[in-house]
Amino acid sequence: MKSLLKLITVLCLAAVLLAACGAPAAPETITIKETVTIKETQIVEVPAEKTEVRLSGWASSPSETALLESLLYKFSVENPDILVKYEPITGDYKQALLTAIASGTEPDVFYNDIFWWQEFAKNDVLLPIDDLMASTGTTKDMFIPSLLDAFTFDGKTYGIPKDFNTLGMFYNKDLFDKAGLEYPTDDWTWDNLKEAATKLTDLSDANKPVYGFCTPPDPGRFPAFVFQNGGTVMNDDFSDTTLDSEAAIKAAEFYTSFRADKIGAIPSDLGEGWQGTLFGKGQCAMVYEGGWLIPYLRDQFPNTKYGVVMPPAGPAGEGNMIFTVAYGISANTKNPDAAWKVVDFLTNEASQQTVLESGFALPSRVSLQNSDYLKNNPNTAAIFNGALNGAKPFFWGAFGSDVNDQMGKGLERVFKENQPIADAMKQAADAIRQAYK
Amino acid sequence: MSKKISRKKVTEALAGYAFISPWLFIFFTFTVFSLGYAIYLSFTRYNLLKPPVWWGLEGYQRVLSDELFLTKALPNTFKYVLIVVPIQTMISLVLAFVMDQSLRFRRAFRTIFYLPSVTSSVVISLIFVWLFAPQGIFNQITHLTINWLDNPATAFYVIMGMNIFTTSGTLMLIFLSGLQDISTTIYEAAQIDGADPVQVFFRITIPLLRPVIFFVVTVGVIGCFQVFDQIFVMTSGGPLDSTTTLTYLIYKWAFRDTTIKMGQASSLAVILTLIILAVTLIQRRVIEGSGSTTQ
Repeated sequence: MKSLLKLITVLCLAAVLLAACGAPAAPETITIKETVTIKETQIVEVPAEKTEVRLSGWASSPSETALLESLLYKFSVENPDILVKYEPITGDYKQALLTAIASGTEPDVFYNDIFWWQEFAKNDVLLPIDDLMASTGTTKDMFIPSLLDAFTFDGKTYGIPKDFNTLGMFYNKDLFDKAGLEYPTDDWTWDNLKEAATKLTDLSDANKPVYGFCTPPDPGRFPAFVFQNGGTVMNDDFSDTTLDSEAAIKAAEFYTSFRADKIGAIPSDLGEGWQGTLFGKGQCAMVYEGGWLIPYLRDQFPNTKYGVVMPPAGPAGEGNMIFTVAYGISANTKNPDAAWKVVDFLTNEASQQTVLESGFALPSRVSLQNSDYLKNNPNTAAIFNGALNGAKPFFWGAFGSDVNDQMGKGLERVFKENQPIADAMKQAADAIRQAYK
Repeated sequence: MSKKISRKKVTEALAGYAFISPWLFIFFTFTVFSLGYAIYLSFTRYNLLKPPVWWGLEGYQRVLSDELFLTKALPNTFKYVLIVVPIQTMISLVLAFVMDQSLRFRRAFRTIFYLPSVTSSVVISLIFVWLFAPQGIFNQITHLTINWLDNPATAFYVIMGMNIFTTSGTLMLIFLSGLQDISTTIYEAAQIDGADPVQVFFRITIPLLRPVIFFVVTVGVIGCFQVFDQIFVMTSGGPLDSTTTLTYLIYKWAFRDTTIKMGQASSLAVILTLIILAVTLIQRRVIEGSGSTTQ
């Protein structure tokens, strides 16, 4: 009898240990996940007719998925009559979504990227949500205007931004200290940027050259300079490109001058695909990147000391780009009200607060502008405030992918084939116009 | 009597069709229907969001006047075929010839040469991306500082080299079986007549291998015209469109552009099929026309 008791104790201990061993690899988020599954099974027991809402998005990281799942759990507690089926899409999200739409099997609620959502609105794939917003008393002024405007087409709202990012200027504190320079501030201008880049560049170590400012031929970075120079990428109704305008060419001259003066580089010069890695390694002293660089640096380069400020102002003032994703509702949904409840819940203040505190993305609610989190995290605050200062959405109209391709190639031709800048921009603009024919 | 046989034949035929019906079903759904639908789509304007609209030959006209198609995709694809097919055919023929001799560890070598062919092309592509990275093994060994896959002058050749590396193994296997089909009596007769090994290779082996060579070249040409996954993984058609081929352009129009051009992409797919068909027919004329063997 005694030995049996012993055996049971040992087995119990082993079970506890095993259970403990299974968990430690993942951070706290896992605990949230567990509660989700346990409580969900309890709710299933409630014998009620449930409205089903399918929700799809891309799965950028396990922790981000866990965050969404925890929000959905909270939703299920408050709305026991609605069953949200979360169906994340791995791989090529847009391709998967397009085929689902073509075959009429798209989810009720799905992520819409600022870059391409308007084609969906134009083709009646998305449901205008103004009436649904009014039904729950959600008003437009609760969201950052530049974000909500970005999802407005023909006077109708087609999506509620779930989060956003802008560009911030990341600077390496150690390299600034080494060069004896003051840290940048939000008041910097192009001249300050150029001057600092010159002083920060140190090519003495051929194996690990340090460049002041990195300028990738990236259509997600360069337009900020065009905006800062008072130019645009497209005209107001997106019917023509303005990349060959004086303002854009001058911006390109400034942008490419860093590498020409040997105080800047493109990532491939240094054998990397992304300047974020080079920033972490201390080979790019300053880069324009979004808030996504913050968790990356935390994971990959925890020893790199850095700060973030808003991008320096150009001759025409502040200029920045907004990258954002919205929850949109399918025009074919059978339960628009239930779908709206899900969207409204995921973008309400409490949910947005959770998103902000997770550190993955920035909330779209105006009311969070003065939150303690932003006060205590100046780097995140710089990215957040970017949206309020001369930022334009990362959106170039119906042929956006062509605009992006050609803009990138124009810069690449300047960098790699030494094509004169004005010619490169003209060639890019002509190629874009071809796409419109 | 005859009636009886025919009835038996009918039941036999029916049983036959019943046996292959699962395959037939799949064949009709995923091959015949898809093919027909693609041809239909090639005459329409279709953005996947709204039903296709009949467009006649507009899609074809757009393809044939598209700058990317004319200046990059078409020449790149032909360049790829013209460089890769001869080299991979020659290398695999030589490999097969060597592997046909009684060498030590012959089986081990055969396995090694065949290995790249059974590996997933995506995996091999990733390995090559790594090999040819600026600080990759290739640059380390050769003391070069070229960013192979980011340079418009070199990227395409790396992909070509990789394709030759991966397909040569399979083609070697086909050549090997062809070589073993040639009767030893012919070689013995040649030896008695005093032919040296080089003469034997060019006068006996090659002519007798002609049907196999035709097969290998045809398969190679078709495969090369359809090169896609390596480009998708390694360069996405870049840098500066230097690796954009016809199939990559089809993908770009069909799925990647902001405004989806499924109709135009289907037109290009039909055009590509016609190109492959024409090239294969010409090839058959050339290879089989010049002194055919009866086999």
